[in-house]
Amino acid sequence: MSDPSDLTKEALAAIAKARTEGELETLSLDYLGRKSGQITKLLSGIGQLAPAQRAALGQSANEAKRAIEGALAGRRTELEGARLADIAETEAIDVTFPGSPLGRGHIHVLTQVQRQIETVLESLGYKVEMGPEVETEWYNFEALNISAGHPARENWDSFYFNPQLLLRAHTSPVQIRAMQRLKEPPIYIITPGRCYRRDAPEATRLPYFSQVEGLAVDRGLTVGDMKGTLLYMMQSLYGSERKVRVRPSYFPFTEPSFEFDVSCGICAGTGCKSCRHKGWLEVGGCGMVHPQVLRNGGIDPERWNGYAWGFGIERMAMSKHNVDDIRLLYESDLRFLEQF
Amino acid sequence: MKVSYEWLADFVDLDGVTPQEAAGVLTRLGLEVETLTVVDLSEIVVGKVLEQIPHPKSRNPLWVHQVDLGDHVEQIIAGAPNAIPGSLVPVAMPGTTVPNGKVVKDMNIAGYKARGMLCSAEELLLGDDHSGILILSSGKPGASLESVIPSQVTMEIEVTSNRPDCMGHLGVARELAAGLDRPMKVDFMPAFTGTANPPGRDLVKVSIDEPDLCARYIGGVIKGVKVGPSPEWVQRRLRACGVRPINNIVDITNYVLLEYAQPLHAFDLAKVSPTEIHVRRARVGEKLLCLDGIERELSADMLVIADSRQPVAIAGVIGGEETAVTAGTTDILLEAATFNGSSVRQTARELGIRTEASSRFEKGLPAELALAGARRAAALIADLAGGSVHREWADVYPLPQEPVRVRLRPALVDEVLGLHVPLEEAESILKRLNFHVRALEDGEWDVLPPVFRLDVTIPEDLVEEVGRVHGYDRIPPTLPGRRRDSWMPTVPSIGRRLDVARGVLAGAGFTETWNPALVSGRVLESLRIDAHAMRVSNALSDDMDTLRTSLLPSLVGVVALNRDRGRHDVRVYEIASAFLAPVGDKSEQPDEPMRLGVVASAGPSAEAGRATFYAVKSVLDASLAAVGAPPCTYQRGSQELFHPGRCAAVVLDGRLLGYMGELHPTVASTFKIEGRLVAIEIDVEPVLAVSGIPGVHPLPRFPAIERDLAVVVEDHVAAGALLATIREAGGDFLERARAFDEYHGPQVPDGHKSIAFTLTFRSPERTLTDAEVDKVMTEIKLGLQKRHKARFRE
Repeated sequence: MSDPSDLTKEALAAIAKARTEGELETLSLDYLGRKSGQITKLLSGIGQLAPAQRAALGQSANEAKRAIEGALAGRRTELEGARLADIAETEAIDVTFPGSPLGRGHIHVLTQVQRQIETVLESLGYKVEMGPEVETEWYNFEALNISAGHPARENWDSFYFNPQLLLRAHTSPVQIRAMQRLKEPPIYIITPGRCYRRDAPEATRLPYFSQVEGLAVDRGLTVGDMKGTLLYMMQSLYGSERKVRVRPSYFPFTEPSFEFDVSCGICAGTGCKSCRHKGWLEVGGCGMVHPQVLRNGGIDPERWNGYAWGFGIERMAMSKHNVDDIRLLYESDLRFLEQF
Repeated sequence: MKVSYEWLADFVDLDGVTPQEAAGVLTRLGLEVETLTVVDLSEIVVGKVLEQIPHPKSRNPLWVHQVDLGDHVEQIIAGAPNAIPGSLVPVAMPGTTVPNGKVVKDMNIAGYKARGMLCSAEELLLGDDHSGILILSSGKPGASLESVIPSQVTMEIEVTSNRPDCMGHLGVARELAAGLDRPMKVDFMPAFTGTANPPGRDLVKVSIDEPDLCARYIGGVIKGVKVGPSPEWVQRRLRACGVRPINNIVDITNYVLLEYAQPLHAFDLAKVSPTEIHVRRARVGEKLLCLDGIERELSADMLVIADSRQPVAIAGVIGGEETAVTAGTTDILLEAATFNGSSVRQTARELGIRTEASSRFEKGLPAELALAGARRAAALIADLAGGSVHREWADVYPLPQEPVRVRLRPALVDEVLGLHVPLEEAESILKRLNFHVRALEDGEWDVLPPVFRLDVTIPEDLVEEVGRVHGYDRIPPTLPGRRRDSWMPTVPSIGRRLDVARGVLAGAGFTETWNPALVSGRVLESLRIDAHAMRVSNALSDDMDTLRTSLLPSLVGVVALNRDRGRHDVRVYEIASAFLAPVGDKSEQPDEPMRLGVVASAGPSAEAGRATFYAVKSVLDASLAAVGAPPCTYQRGSQELFHPGRCAAVVLDGRLLGYMGELHPTVASTFKIEGRLVAIEIDVEPVLAVSGIPGVHPLPRFPAIERDLAVVVEDHVAAGALLATIREAGGDFLERARAFDEYHGPQVPDGHKSIAFTLTFRSPERTLTDAEVDKVMTEIKLGLQKRHKARFRE
């Protein structure tokens, strides 16, 4: 039977001489292999020895095993280091060469902006509601306090199919439908969707566009609540430094009525070319829901009140992304769409 | 609406208020000042031309002037020849900025020094005349031009449709007075100045046939007027508001319109004959030569002012040429009436004209305003054109204006605004706005709006009045936050649920588009998909006169557009509604199914179309899987837009979702596209209805065995049918069967094809043996042989 210390010497010499990781693997098997490694054999032979010798040989064989394992690991690291030393040159590629084209498609900017708006309002507990684009005269006008012959009607010049049926001029009919269906407040909804007005296409407007309107019906809502909601919304969409102001205005379906502006992002409200020196960008209209409109939605205005707002998604997308012609959004030129 | 700042100061003390501050107040009150134009003449001085000689050296015709500026004389060069010696002219000295923005500099023109500039009306923003130097009628050399022409400020104000009372300077001034908390200098109702005999109502008989369309008609008589130009201040103010001065009588009617918002009309009394006024509907065939020189045909729904023979004016819209006031007019009939807003709007629209008068009437004016306007005009005419105003005018007033009282629970103000407004403050604001407030015993207020405010009818209207004057900026932003005992649970919107499909489509190279829903009805017709189409009755143009019944024509149009712009490989989609009216009944709301439409361009070869078909098909499978739908099945289908041999009906859960496949060659040619197009159009709502979060299958614990099988069948046999047989015969051990290759070639007989399948076998309980799998394979082969006359290639 070999002496563990001789074996160790012999093994360490062989390991030091090994040139490849393969040779090391052979040596490892030779000495430490599970079936026929020399050290393994030595250790498995211990059982046949006298108890007095067992301890001594066991200890020295284990020392030999640790020494060989250590030497193997050390040499392995050396050889691996040598092998990897020059891959910086031998395997170099041109990292500045462009990646292979992915050919990815793009999600429309209006979808993206609409979803951002939905996300912000959903975080306040609002729910998305949808409704038909072809509406009845009643839902589009009458229910919103805009009876035939109302002087404000000209603001909603519409496309008609017959005197009772038209393309909705705003998504407000969805508010009426939602109130009728949900019946019992609290109601917190937003109504994104396509709308139509009879305006000839030009750089700033199209006969078709998209709106998001919001409606809150609850107990004891105030103009302050409406302002807070608009401020939360505009700061979430444009940045926390933005401010919101409301100006008195007129809509037949709200009382009081307002227009709301967001402070200009370029001049921070001091006035510049992009806000036409006003310091503010017009966003949309809002107000406290007119009691008659609540009644038309089947809600008792003595018990509940509400606020509502609306604005165009296109206008928001345009101001966020510096688009100067609304027609680009619906023209479907891929060179434009692929920028989003 | 254009507003002159100088004019506002007639009614409210504006001392110490800058035009910018006033504009801010008006905007905060709801009269949005869109632009503010300041014409500052304080830096311009009056000069007297002492000498004018032609420039001796200049090639261009120039004139060298010696101009007396009071304490010294300057040499000034000008191009216009009209500043002859003795003229008083406006002079801008070097360093000054002229109102039109030009900065004046010291000049030396061909050896002649020029210090300063003689100004034209255009350069001073005092009118459009740029033909020559503005010659002043008076002024002291060296004095500021302001001593002759006051500096002018004009505002462009947007007046909301509920406030026709603010479509005149008086109304704007009232708002400003309330906002500044300063008193008004004049009362709403001027005193009546008529004293001449006989009574006006004996000179002109007025009758109203249509009291619903004309609530009031006042016909005043003023005799012995002298028609001529208006004084400078009237002309200046009219011009500032964009109205061209004509003569003093016409100018005064326009002046009062711009002041009181009450349109007026002056007839030459001698030409209205006999002196009878009928307010009636036009008769068929009647025509009127209007003041703008155009003869208009009238229809029976239009209201006219007629004498006993014929119409002399279209009520509230425009007057007639024949009865107009001219230089020779001496006696006038002054009309101040209240016409129905809808009627005026409809008439103006039908005739295609919109006048200062019609744009006010159509908002609905209070009848009390007619009297105020008529009195103001009569006083001005007597003042500026002479003549005697007759007493007791004709005033037919069939529908007297009823006062509307509003009950206000004062706490409502705080409740709605979310801000405490002290009661005294609220009351003071209402009073400043000319409302009468009377506190009742129960604490509520009985509020009477002023006669010119027809828009205030409910308590919320009063809250708005208080709020806007108190200042909405003062309301702190809050979020609604009471303790709620009920709520609406949130659910993801349809749009959001489809976003994962959008992601799959984007990954596969498809770009989303938003296309107009209004398309050309003719195109739908030529594609034979117009049976359910709804046509707009008042379309703007015939390329958008019909609601689309399919998303695909829009998307094919997108391919065409991008091809025209040099893009060859186009992959696009849209998620939007199609509109389907029930056939034969287009009077009801249509079905509006939300759809996914996809179009991919392909090369012109049949093989290119085939390859793209399968590429697009896998995109559809992946998109549906992404939203959590069970797999759909495909059957040979046919639809108008699709290639008859390359169209699959897409079926999910037994329901037809739509179609996918190559588009019919005529579709591409309709849009002048070379090459093939592969498309999908399916309804998405039924997909979402059966979609959800899929349950997870446990991971397999035992290995699978894979076998390939090449099946030779006649060409007409569909892979789908073979798969169905394989699955049936494969039993429980067959985990998956997939067709991966279709082959025609030397080893396959004519009229046949070879389809290769990969079959995966596995048991959830143990490792299968080859023998077990062989047995199943034999079953499968038997089934295929029996049902499809299949043979097998090794």
